[in-house]
Amino acid sequence: MAITTTTMRQVLGLRRAVIFGLAALAPALVFLLTSQALADEAALDRFLGMVVGLYLPLLVPIVSLILSASALGDERRDGTLSFLVLRPIPRSVIAGSKVLGAAIVVSALNALGGGALGLVYGLETGSWGATVPLMLGGIIAGIVYTALFVPLGFFTDRAVLAGLAFVLVFENGVVSALSGLSALSPWRLGLSTFSSLAPDAVTTALGDFGAADLSGFGSTIGRTIIVAALSIGLTTLVLRKRDLA
Amino acid sequence: MTTNPALVDSPTIEMDDVTKWFGQKVAVSNVTCSFGSGVTGLLGPNGAGKTTMLRMLTGLIRPSQGKIRVLGVWPRTSPKVYANVGLVPEEAAVYPSMTARSYIRYAATLAGVDDLDGATARAIETVALGDAADRKLAGYSKGMRQRAKVAAALVADPQILILDEPLNGTDPVQRLHLINLFRRLGDEGRTVVVSSHVLDEVERMSDRVIAIVDGRLAAAGDVAAIRRAMTDIPYRVRVDTDKPRVLAARLLEESLVHGVAVDDGTLHVETGDLAALGRRVPVVAREIDARITGFRPEDASLESVFRYLVGGR
Repeated sequence: MAITTTTMRQVLGLRRAVIFGLAALAPALVFLLTSQALADEAALDRFLGMVVGLYLPLLVPIVSLILSASALGDERRDGTLSFLVLRPIPRSVIAGSKVLGAAIVVSALNALGGGALGLVYGLETGSWGATVPLMLGGIIAGIVYTALFVPLGFFTDRAVLAGLAFVLVFENGVVSALSGLSALSPWRLGLSTFSSLAPDAVTTALGDFGAADLSGFGSTIGRTIIVAALSIGLTTLVLRKRDLA
Repeated sequence: MTTNPALVDSPTIEMDDVTKWFGQKVAVSNVTCSFGSGVTGLLGPNGAGKTTMLRMLTGLIRPSQGKIRVLGVWPRTSPKVYANVGLVPEEAAVYPSMTARSYIRYAATLAGVDDLDGATARAIETVALGDAADRKLAGYSKGMRQRAKVAAALVADPQILILDEPLNGTDPVQRLHLINLFRRLGDEGRTVVVSSHVLDEVERMSDRVIAIVDGRLAAAGDVAAIRRAMTDIPYRVRVDTDKPRVLAARLLEESLVHGVAVDDGTLHVETGDLAALGRRVPVVAREIDARITGFRPEDASLESVFRYLVGGR
């Protein structure tokens, strides 16, 4: 538990909390600002435009990858890894605690972003049914990104760059062109969650945004658990097998 | 009882033919040695392989070849052994946003210490960090950080303490305090391994020295024993006398004297047998009616020994 709480403080210091907190609110602010300019457009379309154009494919991945890559990466760069690993604690516990600490912080910020966007949409339309599903979608996507980027942060100082390339080139480029690869896109797992749990009107409208053929909620949760378990397993293996200084 | 000076009876740490290479570079080469209770100084010039050796001892990095045992096990696969090992690494290894107290308490928590507050307070007191303990480590000087790291390493009361250049950045008062602390811990029967490239520090702290040069074990034992083992290098002795030139000429006739030099009225003698020279000089001085006021080996210090070990470097 101590490692988890320390990791949370480590990845989200005061300055980062302010910066990423404001960033998380960006989709909600953009939605508010465009409500006048695009008044003739349906609120649901504008809302879903924010969800699949800004919140899930950009905000969630960027917040998640920057914070989670620092969970182990900062320990290695700052020389504190020796402080952490030379303890009578199984490496699997250290790995699990690091992934959990990063996931909690990432989930909180993504939930804040999704919640704020759902809130402003609800205020405008009186429809609140999409808020919680959107928060859960952000959380699920964030957990998968965290599971990917905690170990990557250990391997390379350029984890954030590699992560951005993955998100912008692979997910938002290649996968968008080849929908068969959508299972490999974490933010689309978040979209699946949102689509599965949101009211029918929202789910139906999502089809117009190319969000058809999404897997169900149960399948998404299953995949998320598998990715998280693999991440903890990989991180444990790294801490056991690789030179740590 | 072992006769190899690199090995100790009842070792807590053992290195058996350990080699570590990074790509093409060999950092540590075929080192066999062991460590037991008391303070052992790991001595070597910068880049000699000391840090690599200490990192291997703690399991931070794996040997490319050979075996390491800490309290009978390889720490990587038996992390429980870390309850008895404290490391003070050379690099920063502190969380700048923490206070020293929270940092030391965190170390105690991870080590599974029961009385967290008590152990933390005792560790802080041991390194005399009391006044500054509630300040953030970001504002600490390097010397204060070193003391915080020592406190964090000591908080679980480990049987083995491994310190990599622990006196770097400390002022003379802090240095004296830490040297006395390490000596006391060694006297209590703990295994204390201290690396340093500062000869004076090692000489003041250590009962025993392991010298590493170019990744190889160059010498081991106490300083006098190492010097005695260097039979191919004659001792250099300063002899203070009122008749340096006459005594020099007379001593040259002695078979145990390899050479003499008179410099600013002081006689320097080279010999392969220091004890025999010590017995012979007063006899010869009496024969020529010379008065001897001083007889001092000039190269028995750790610095001289080390200079010989590193050769022309």
